[in-house]
This record gives sequence, C-alpha cells and structure tokens, in this order.
Amino acid sequence: MFRTLKPFEYLEPKTLEEATKALSKRGAQAKVYAAGVDLVPRMRKRVIEPKCIVNIQNVKELDDVIAAKGKGVRIGSLASKRSIELSSLIKEKYFVLHEAISSIVSVQVKSQGTAVGNLCVATPASDVATALYVLDAKLNVFGPSGERQIPIDEFYLGVGKTVLEPAEIITEILLPAPAANTGGAFAKLVRTAEDIAKVNAAASITLDKGVCKDVRISLGSVAPTVVRAKKAEAILRGKKVDQKLIEQAAKAAAEEVAPITDLRSTAAYRKETSGVLVKRVLTKALERAQA
Amino acid sequence: MTTKHKAVGKRITQKDAVLKATGEGIYVADVNLPGQLWGKVLHSPYAHANIKKIDKSKAEALPGVKAVITFEDTPKILYARSFRDQPLSPTKALQRSDEYILSDKCRYWGDAIAAVAAVDEETAEKAIGLIEVEYEVLPFVLDPRDAVKPGAPVIQDWAPNNIPVSGPCPPFLKKGDVNKGFEESDVVVEGTFFSMKQIIGQLEPQSCVANYDSNGRITIYSPCQLAHPFRRELAKMFGVGSGMITVNSTAFVGGSFGCRLSCHNEPIAIMLSKVARKPVKLIYSKEEDFCNIDSRTPDYITCKLGMKKDGTLHSLRVDTMAWASGYLSRAMLAGSITLVWGMGHYRCNNIDGSFQVVYTNTPLSGAMRGFGNPEVMWAVDQLMHEAAVKLGLDPVEVALKNAKKPGEPSNMGGLPLESTYLEDCIKRGAEAIGWKEKYGKNKGGTGTKKRGVGMSTMTHCSDGWPLLLAHSGAMIKFNEDGSVNLVCHPGSPGTHIWGSLAQVAAETIGIPVEDVHISGMNTDVTVFDLGSHASRSMYVTGNAVKIAAQKAKKELLDYAAKMMVEDPDDLDVDGREIYVKSNPAKRIPVREVAHEAIFGARGDGYTPAGIGCWNSTYSSPPTAAYFAEVEVDTETYEVKVLKFVTAMDCGKAINPMTVEGQCEGGIQNGMGHGLTENYVYDEKTGKPLSLNYTTYKMPGALDMPDETQIILIDKPDPKGPYGAKGVGEPALVGIAPAIANAVYDAIGVRIYDQPITPEKLMKAMKEKA
Amino acid sequence: MKKELINLTINGAPYELEVEPNLILNTLLRDRLGLTGTKISCGEGECGACTILVDGKPMLSCSMLAVAANGKNITTIEGLAKDGELHIIQKKFIEKGAIQCGYCSPGMILAVKALLDENPNPTSADVKKAIGGNLCRCTGYVKIVDAALAAAKA
Repeated sequence: MFRTLKPFEYLEPKTLEEATKALSKRGAQAKVYAAGVDLVPRMRKRVIEPKCIVNIQNVKELDDVIAAKGKGVRIGSLASKRSIELSSLIKEKYFVLHEAISSIVSVQVKSQGTAVGNLCVATPASDVATALYVLDAKLNVFGPSGERQIPIDEFYLGVGKTVLEPAEIITEILLPAPAANTGGAFAKLVRTAEDIAKVNAAASITLDKGVCKDVRISLGSVAPTVVRAKKAEAILRGKKVDQKLIEQAAKAAAEEVAPITDLRSTAAYRKETSGVLVKRVLTKALERAQA
Repeated sequence: MTTKHKAVGKRITQKDAVLKATGEGIYVADVNLPGQLWGKVLHSPYAHANIKKIDKSKAEALPGVKAVITFEDTPKILYARSFRDQPLSPTKALQRSDEYILSDKCRYWGDAIAAVAAVDEETAEKAIGLIEVEYEVLPFVLDPRDAVKPGAPVIQDWAPNNIPVSGPCPPFLKKGDVNKGFEESDVVVEGTFFSMKQIIGQLEPQSCVANYDSNGRITIYSPCQLAHPFRRELAKMFGVGSGMITVNSTAFVGGSFGCRLSCHNEPIAIMLSKVARKPVKLIYSKEEDFCNIDSRTPDYITCKLGMKKDGTLHSLRVDTMAWASGYLSRAMLAGSITLVWGMGHYRCNNIDGSFQVVYTNTPLSGAMRGFGNPEVMWAVDQLMHEAAVKLGLDPVEVALKNAKKPGEPSNMGGLPLESTYLEDCIKRGAEAIGWKEKYGKNKGGTGTKKRGVGMSTMTHCSDGWPLLLAHSGAMIKFNEDGSVNLVCHPGSPGTHIWGSLAQVAAETIGIPVEDVHISGMNTDVTVFDLGSHASRSMYVTGNAVKIAAQKAKKELLDYAAKMMVEDPDDLDVDGREIYVKSNPAKRIPVREVAHEAIFGARGDGYTPAGIGCWNSTYSSPPTAAYFAEVEVDTETYEVKVLKFVTAMDCGKAINPMTVEGQCEGGIQNGMGHGLTENYVYDEKTGKPLSLNYTTYKMPGALDMPDETQIILIDKPDPKGPYGAKGVGEPALVGIAPAIANAVYDAIGVRIYDQPITPEKLMKAMKEKA
Repeated sequence: MKKELINLTINGAPYELEVEPNLILNTLLRDRLGLTGTKISCGEGECGACTILVDGKPMLSCSMLAVAANGKNITTIEGLAKDGELHIIQKKFIEKGAIQCGYCSPGMILAVKALLDENPNPTSADVKKAIGGNLCRCTGYVKIVDAALAAAKA
C-alpha cells in the first residue's frame, strides 16, 4: 500500500550485448523496462522488488517497426500495442491480432505498453498471446548464447513463467505468411469492458474449396497457460465446416480446459462459456475465410 | 401566476469547473505548508489480532524520521468517526465511541496501528517497514451471520455477542399487525437479499494536511463534509476547545459519495503533527482507500410483503442485519435507516420490522450515496415486482396504486409529505422507456438475446429531521464593487452545491450570479452547517442562504434609501442596479451604494451583510421512478443495459444541468452496485482481495447504456428554497432494483445477492431448468 | 542511488533535471515541478486520472519512471490553454456540465484531445472507446461524451 518505489540500480544499455551482459550479471535481481505499464505498478505494490532496472528503450538493435519480413510480417519488440492495432498491414493480414488488441479498452495502456512486454508478463489471460497462438507466431530472442527462435506455444511454462532465461531479450515477433482463404476471430468475456479476460478465445480457419484445410483454436484464462484446443481442431480439420460441426468442436474445446474459480469468475462458468466463445469465433472465422 | 426567475432554473455553468478543467483547482494533496512532513500509516496485516509489542526504535533511528506513533502515544479517548457519539439527534440517541486514533487491537485487515512522519515520502515508507510488531493472531469472522453465533470471536469486549446496536421497528413506522396482514393478503412473497459492500470508488484518495502549531491551534485541511461536527469531535479527541480548531474544507474534493462524511486519516495526521511539531501531509494510496475508509454498509435484508389482488400493498415486514466493521463508524445507523426508507416509502397499513448491526473483522462500513435506501429497495422493489407478477398485475400500476400523496405521513418521523410527484415520475418514466410495448414482450430480442424492462421507485429525504438535527446557516456580505461573498459550509464534493447556492443568493438579492463569490469553507468563519449529507444542502442550506440574502439585501437597500431619499420598501434590485419600484427610471448602481456604505466615510458606514439560519422541521423528500431496459445473452448470461430512464422529482431544479449530471452519475453507481462491483475476501486470511480498480470493477464509459434519459418533473415543494428538494442520493437509489426486475422480465430469473453476475445467472437458469 | 540527468520538454518548455531512477513520473510532475493538474489515483494504470500526452500519445504517468521520460515531449493539462485562452475541449467540458468533482477531468480531457488529434470527426462510440481507460464516478460519462462531440464540431 505504498506510493513510492524502493531504490534500485538503473541501467540504460545502448546495445543488445550490453543489455544481456548486464542482465546476465544480475540474474533474477534485474528486470527489463520497456514501457513500465506493468512493471512500475507491481514495484509500487511491492509484488516484485528488483534491485536493478534495465531500460531497453534505447537499445539500438530494438525497434517498434511493423513490416513485411520474407513472406510474413515482423513486429519489433518495442512496438506498442496501439501501433499494432493501427497497423493496416496487421488488420489486413492478421485480423485476429487486430481484433484481440482492439478488445483491450485502455488507449493509454495500448499506447504505452508493448505487445512483447505483455507476453513477458505471462498471464494466461493475455489477449495478445491467445491471438498469437492461432497465428503460429514465433519469438526471436537474443541472449548470452546468441539468438534463438521460440514458437509461441512453447514459450509459456505456467502462470508468470516463461522459458526465457533472465538475460534473454525478445527482439521481435514473427508472423508467418497467412495462407489464402484464411479467416480469424477473437472474443472475450469480462466483468466490465476495461478488465482482464475471464475467458478469451481465438480461432483461425483456412479453407480449400470449402473444406477446412487447417484450423487453430486457442483459449486463454482457462488454464495456467493458453490452451490450444487440439481435439477440437481435429474435429474440423479436413472436413466441410458447417454450424453443426462447429458446435461439436466447441463442445470438445470446452473439455480441454481446466479453469479455476477466482475473483473474476467461476470454473463452471468458464468451462461452459469456453464452448460458447469457441463456437462464436469459429463461426466468425469461417465467415471471414469465405469472404 | 408563474414566476420568471433570473438565476434559479438556469443551466448556469460552474465557476469552479474552469479551475478543474485547467488543473488549477487545489485539492487537499496540493496544499503545502512550509516545513511539512510526510505521513504514512502502518496497517494491520491480520483480520483479527492482539498487539503484544511494538518496537519503533529502528524506525525512529532512521535519518529523516521526525515522529513514530502508536496507540501508546495517542490520547486514550474513544471517539466515533461518524461524530455521532455526541449529541446530534432530537431522539438523544448516541453512538457508542469505539475507536482510538490508532488502534489498540487489530480488528480488520488494514486497521491503522502505527504512523510515521518523515522529511519525504520515501523515508516515511521505509520507516513503516522498520516498525516491528509482535502480533497474537486471533480467529476472525467475516460474515455477520457467523459473528452472531455463540462462540464467535469477540471483536469489541463491550459487545461480547458482536451486536453493538439492535432494535425494533421505529414507532413512527410501525403500523397495524403484519402477521394478520399476511393472512389477509392474496399473495405473500418473501426473501433474504444481500446488498454488497460497495466501495465508494471516489477517484481522489483520502488525504489531509494537519498542523498542530505552537499556539496549540489545530488546523486541518480535509475533504470532510461535516466540518462542524468534525471540529467538535476533534475537540473531544485532543482535549482542546472547538474554538482552537480550524477545519478547512477544501473547495476542490475529488468525490465523496459518503466517505467524506466521516474523518479517516485526519486524527492520525494531527497526532503526528503534534509530536513532530511540524505540519504533516498524509495521502492514502488507493489500496488504503479500499481497506481503511468507509464503504457502503453491506446488509442482509429479509423482507416479506403481502399484496391484495387489486395491487394494494397490505403488509410489509423488513428485518435488516447490517454488516459493520470491527468498529461502528457510520454503520450504526445503517441498520435502522433501511427500515425508514423501506417501510416509509409505499402506503401500507401493516408494517413491522427490526434491525441489527453486527461487528465483523472487515474494513470500515459507513454510508454511501443513498445510505440504506438502495440497499433496502433492492429487496422491497424486487418483491413488489414478484408479487405483481404472481397476481398478473402490471408493476407500473402497482407502484401507482401504492404511491403516497402529499400530506400523507412520510418516511421521516411520520411528518406529512410537503410534496410528492411520484405519480408523475412513474407515468412519465414508463412512457419514456416504452413500458407498454416492452414489458413481458421480449421486444427486440433476437436469437439467444432476450430483452426485458423493469422498474423501481423510491422516496428519500431532503434532510434527516426528526432523526437528526437539521439546521444550517449562511452569511452574505457585500463588497465595495457590488459583489457579495457567500460564506457557508456545506462541503464541496463535486455536486456543484456552491454554484446552485450562488444561484439562490443571486435570485434572492437580484444581482447576477457572477457577482456571487463563494468563499471560505473554514470553521473559523462559517456559521454552523451540519454539512452535506442526507441530500440536505440544497433544501436546508439553500433556505439559510435565502434568509441571509434577504437580510443582506435589506441592509443594502436601507443605505440606498438614504442616498436616494426614498422609502426602502419602494426599492428593489435589478441586476447591477437598484431602482425605485414606483419610479423605475430612478436608479443607482449597486456598486455605488455598497462602496458608499463601506468607504463613504459619512459617519454611518457599515458592511451590508446578513446571517441566515434555517431549521428544517419539515419533510420534503425527493421521489423518483427508475426504468431499465436490458438485454441478456442466454449463452453467456451477460447483461447489457440498453436504456435507462430516471424520472426525478427533486422539486424545482435550481440548475437543471447539475441535476441531470447527478442523475446520470447515479446510473453508473447503481449499475456497479447491481451488476459489476463485488468486494471479496481471502477466506483463509480475511484479507480483502478487492484492493484497487483492477480487482474491483466500476462501470466505465463502454459499460454505460447506449441511451439514458433524465426526466426532471421540476414541480415546486412548498418549503424548499424556490421549491427545491434534495437530489444527490436519489440519483442512485432505484437503479439496481430496476435492472434486477428487468433481468427477471427478460429471462425469468431473480438474483437475491448482489451483484447480478453472469455466473450467478447461469447457475440460476440451470437450477430453474 | 545515483541520480540521472534527463532532458525533456513539458508543455513546450525545455527542462533539464536530475532525478533519482526510482522517481515515478507522476511524482516528478506533481511534487517537484508543481504541475498538480495531473492527478494520482489508482497508481496501477487502471483509472486514467494520471493521463498525460507523451509525444502526442496518451500514457499513464503513474506507470512510468521519470528517467524514461528523457527526450520526450510531454503535455500535461496545464499545457492546453494558450495565452489565457482555454482549449476548445476545456470550454466544451465546462459548457456541457461534463465536470463534477473534477478529479478525472484532466486525464479525460487529454484522452479526448488525443482522440480529436487522430480523428477530428468521431462518433459517440469512438469517444467512448477513447475514454474507455478513464474512470469517472460522478458523471456517468454522458456529458463527457456530449462535450467531446461538441468540441469536435466546433
């Protein structure tokens, strides 16, 4: 219940090398600062008490650019959620990500906070993460042992836990080229519009002559990490998708979640509405794939 | 003959709004005194614990720390932060004082047990961490239903059964024989309802600046709205005369809704200042607001009502269990007052009930906008709707049938209703929502979305007489430029009461509103005003302002008469001029007369001024009807309020724009009360989990209905100033019950425990199937 | 703790300041620079009362370190009026009765400014989205939306 922050060592590295060296030396005692939107309140509330803050806003190899890369798109790790929302490239090619970010209501949080920062908080309710799961996103990471690439569905270990080593920094999000005739959709349930999701869901359907060539379904806030509803996907893959099949898949998806009761919602409600949301995003995704 | 008003009834913009728009307005946290220190409070980490030992040596040794205080350092004088332990009521009922400035025992998670003053905030916060406390952790109890069971942990030694206050139905409400009435009724409905612990949610954190100076004078800058009773309470706590205490109510307060009726961290800041011999600024974090200042008092309300087949309400019983904290705060009245509202609203020949206030190990319960009325109408109006449905009657017709008429005994001590336009409210509101086309018809509902409408009505008060003393004073003095200073002390929580009072003053004197300067809410300068609560400031202080204005005007015109050689009774004020009524061409500027009276050096100088005081011994309560249209998604059970109509009878609306603003804000508060706000605890530790806006959800812009309509009946009350009644609290009262009834109309499910969440609706629908 | 030197622009004026790294930007503005128009409420980025514009974009001064404001162009509520003339948004907020207690108003006005700078012709749905991260307990948002639309039309 404090109003000030405890003292800490403050570093402003100019290169990735400098940044990872500094983080390496201090391990878990150091935290990366990209925008502060999550970090500063947590420090104020003494949820975390880092001894060192490493501000990466001026690291020359990091940027906020959203641009084509190969056949796909890359999003710089300093890109704000708002810039991603306003990007016509993202809206056109990866609508599910646009829709997910649009569902975050605070323009301030979106203008200030980065998408990568949001991923690093590792809350299973992250709207960004749920959307990236159905886009098969990958994260480029730089660390003391060099670069590596982590698929988004291998990034999370549990609530607040990722596979990132303390000295590793995400440099960009990579989105693969969207296949033709692909449609995506996102939905979430909240207590008030400005709220962390009770349940969120995303789907992406790729059609080939009316048949479901590929499908991705993800659910957030219903397990320690985002869930890929693979059994539900299997029901649709290779079939001609109609409303009946969607309802079947939705029902299966609801069985793949393990929600808890907390101050936002109950396990029973989350389980049932997982199915409802999956039905809705699949229906919308199908419509958009057909368009 | 309709009177043409110049200032009253006008949508005048507020002067202080300019300073709020530019950020210049000085709120308490912006007040700085030379040499001031920063205060910080240590809060209890346990819901219930004895304090075995406090070692403050390490904190005191930290450089920059100027005072560290605990219960041991404070006067051993029990006080009541509601100020009701000293006479305030014609009934002579006194609240028992049950708390010290710093607690001797931890009675809720967040209880204030020590405090520090240091040269800067960071040092103060560091020092708090260095205070070593040895606790003896005790079993705790959160729910009053558990607290009254034998063997429950005793929270205050003097109330071993955890019931500090209880009582039967107030005699002025009790009527007939309820049990016989139920037997005679054609339908009887009942239920136990829960009205949740609504957090005030005001954006400005509780703050104050205190100075205990070398003259022994206590000066406190505080948002407290009951400044004069607050001053008297401080006098008791610190053993000094009231005349040695200056309560400065800041002109800019970031919302109150009831939490600023009580004092909160002010006594702690004053104590710190006394010990440190320097001014102390104490600003709470939002988490401290959520666990260490008043909230709405939660209640379990058991209600039973019997109705005749023609819709007449025939028998009504209300029994309230009010959920107090480990201290009474303002919850003492919370139980009995629900009976006043719930039983005093509709006409009914058989009425009875009871109330109980129960201690628990939860944070402070006090008063929030409506003070028991939103809570009890949540129960009563849901049952009224239920009874109507069972009888196959239209709830609108039932409400009209049972609405009281002027002259009938009101809720306030049975005093006759000076005015009520409740029927107008019901009829006009029903029309505006489209009741006939929508009730029971799922109009516009498609697919899985079902729609319904619901309503609620209420009577509130424009002051607390005869339950509470009810007078206010005001002073008006002329300046030599022809303007006046209006000096009164209603508090300024954002309701624009000052601007409205300025309109009353301007109308009475005849000068433009711009020439009324609102000044000096400081107890050294203001005559007694009970303060802003019970929606009283317009009605009571407004009348006091009118009297003061009449007196000041007379003094001005007396002097003008000498200057103009005319009969003072033949003079009047028209804008910035005084004119002769029988010869209107003969005029003199107000400015000239005022200047002559003050600076003219004629040997007969004085400041034209007047002090007015008005005792409210009448009952002129505002009434209202509320109508909600909702859409329920029967797959996700989300409730969307599509349209909300509030039809408000607050007498003559002195400033219709301000009144609308109150009503529109009330809809937000009521939607939160009924749908989204929920204060929850960790059952294992008793720690509140709802400690900020992330965990506790108040409606934002995107949650509000697409359409809101405020209908102002705008008909005058015989006793209110220019016919005005109160409106601050009525804005909120019936919002949640109207929504609950609309949900029932849409999907046939009723939720008794607030808030109505999709989770509860889903569960209830499944149980119904 | 070593102090850091920062250079930034606030309301068009250049500032060179030495700040401790653990100083929150909101505290710098209010307590060190006397710009008390920016409010502090929840301190966790949820209520928007602390909203300022950073390089024209609305952000939360309660959730930023002062050191991270180095090189930035900041607008607080004090920076809206020019030569004693209120900004049209401020005028409309006053005129339409969109201000009650005033505590949310600076943040609300700046959020509306950010909207109108980007979209000069918003619908009421656009306005509600723009102020979705700004809580108000007094007004029910109705007259705030009216004021924003009136400012856009003026």
